[in-house]
Amino acid sequence: MDFLFTSILDGLMLGFVYGLAAMGLTLIWGVMNVINLSHGPIISLGMFGVYLLFTFLGMNPYIALIFVALFGLLLGIVIYFVAVNRVIDAPHLSTLLATFAVAMIITGLGTAVFTASPRNVDYSLGSVTIGNATIPVTRIVAAVLSVLITAGLYLYLHRTRSGRYIRAVANNRSAAELMGVPSVRILALSFGIGTMLAALAGGLISTLFPFTILAGGTYELKSFVIGVLGGLGNPIGALFGGLILGVLEGIIPTFMPATWVPVLEFGLFVLILLVRPQGLFGAKKS
Amino acid sequence: MAILEIKDVTSGYGEVQILWGANLDIEDGRLTSLVGANGAGKTTLMRTIMGSIKPWQGSVIFQGQDISSLPAHAKAEMGVVLVPEGRQLFTDMSVEENLEMGASPKRARANVKQNLEFVYEMFPRLKERRAQKSGTMSGGEQQMLAVARGIMAEPVVLMIDELSLGLAPVLVLDLFQSLIRLKNAGLTMILVEQNVQMALAVSDYGYVLAQGQVEIAGPSQDLAENEHVRSAYLGH
Repeated sequence: MDFLFTSILDGLMLGFVYGLAAMGLTLIWGVMNVINLSHGPIISLGMFGVYLLFTFLGMNPYIALIFVALFGLLLGIVIYFVAVNRVIDAPHLSTLLATFAVAMIITGLGTAVFTASPRNVDYSLGSVTIGNATIPVTRIVAAVLSVLITAGLYLYLHRTRSGRYIRAVANNRSAAELMGVPSVRILALSFGIGTMLAALAGGLISTLFPFTILAGGTYELKSFVIGVLGGLGNPIGALFGGLILGVLEGIIPTFMPATWVPVLEFGLFVLILLVRPQGLFGAKKS
Repeated sequence: MAILEIKDVTSGYGEVQILWGANLDIEDGRLTSLVGANGAGKTTLMRTIMGSIKPWQGSVIFQGQDISSLPAHAKAEMGVVLVPEGRQLFTDMSVEENLEMGASPKRARANVKQNLEFVYEMFPRLKERRAQKSGTMSGGEQQMLAVARGIMAEPVVLMIDELSLGLAPVLVLDLFQSLIRLKNAGLTMILVEQNVQMALAVSDYGYVLAQGQVEIAGPSQDLAENEHVRSAYLGH
């Protein structure tokens, strides 16, 4: 029983971070119906951003996150104008290919510069013991920051003018244009926020596990499962989707080999698509 | 003086030309109605003025300035506001959020409070439903919201595309009464209507559009008595 408790607690902590990783993907889908295939490589860039600032400048990883977030935002806006804006109204295949090309460029450059060898951010805040469970404090901090960032996103989308514009463009782009909203700028901003969230998630993950430049791909795949669980296009639902996935990853290895985790995750993915394609928490109606 | 001039405008969608040289002068402070059969090009004309589609030739002059090539959001900033056909509400947002979205242009931001009070007073139903998601309201309430959202932008010219389409007669009367009120307040409006009789009864001036061109223009009362208009559009 104790072992199960530890696993669930561990899974929950991780689940918040998974949710954050998926949030950017689902936000971009919700606003502009684009599946951003450069999501994983941007998560990797977030990891390396924190790694480089920590290793070479001796910066505290959580301070480094601020710079990583800014970098993610700007990178996303650049990617939007270079690769997405021109094909935004084209069929989905065009935006898939455009963002896939961006993914290849980032992964190629990243592998050339950093090689594919594993790195880690050698930073510890000790651990705390709850019952029989011992949890590294970095996990708790990552979970708390993920929740705070999610809350920040929610407040931003619902309490600020530009946040309201993002929701309006997501809901009805041509009507937003008629109201005086420059929709291209809002789409670029949304893409920037989506990649910022991906980079932030990567930065947090780098404080938990070793990683390579290719590690983002794993989290991109998880993001698809989480997005579908929480409802694609519903960024807040992603947090709950992340929790479900995190707990599953905690529990499954307690009664079957860990190699079965992806099998069950993607089994769940297919099942949700079959029986409840709008996700457990409802998605944007299009 | 004409506040909005449409000069020899041609436009359409892809290869299909809809407007074949439309000429209209919209006078300041007037309610101008635009009538015509389905497919005559009324909605296309509205969308071309607004900039949702670009004119192929000709020009749109607003307050003496050529605005033909500006995008829709820039025109909304200047006070050219369209209440689009099919309402196009933000269905996932509440009534009040839709109204706040209407007040997006910089020129409209200072008076959001007074304008909210004004539209709530004009459409008390919207006030009752201010927190409701707009997509869950009835067609008539949605049309009220679409008009109210347009007013929130503090328009210089308010264009309304199909005010009464698909609404119950009682609601249509209500909405037309609101239009008269706005007209009396001095607002310049263009009304696209399939209910020709009502449109000519409330407007000062009218244009009859046919095959992408202005067929007849004149004071609304003259149009209502015009032999051709009576037989073609009024059914008697």
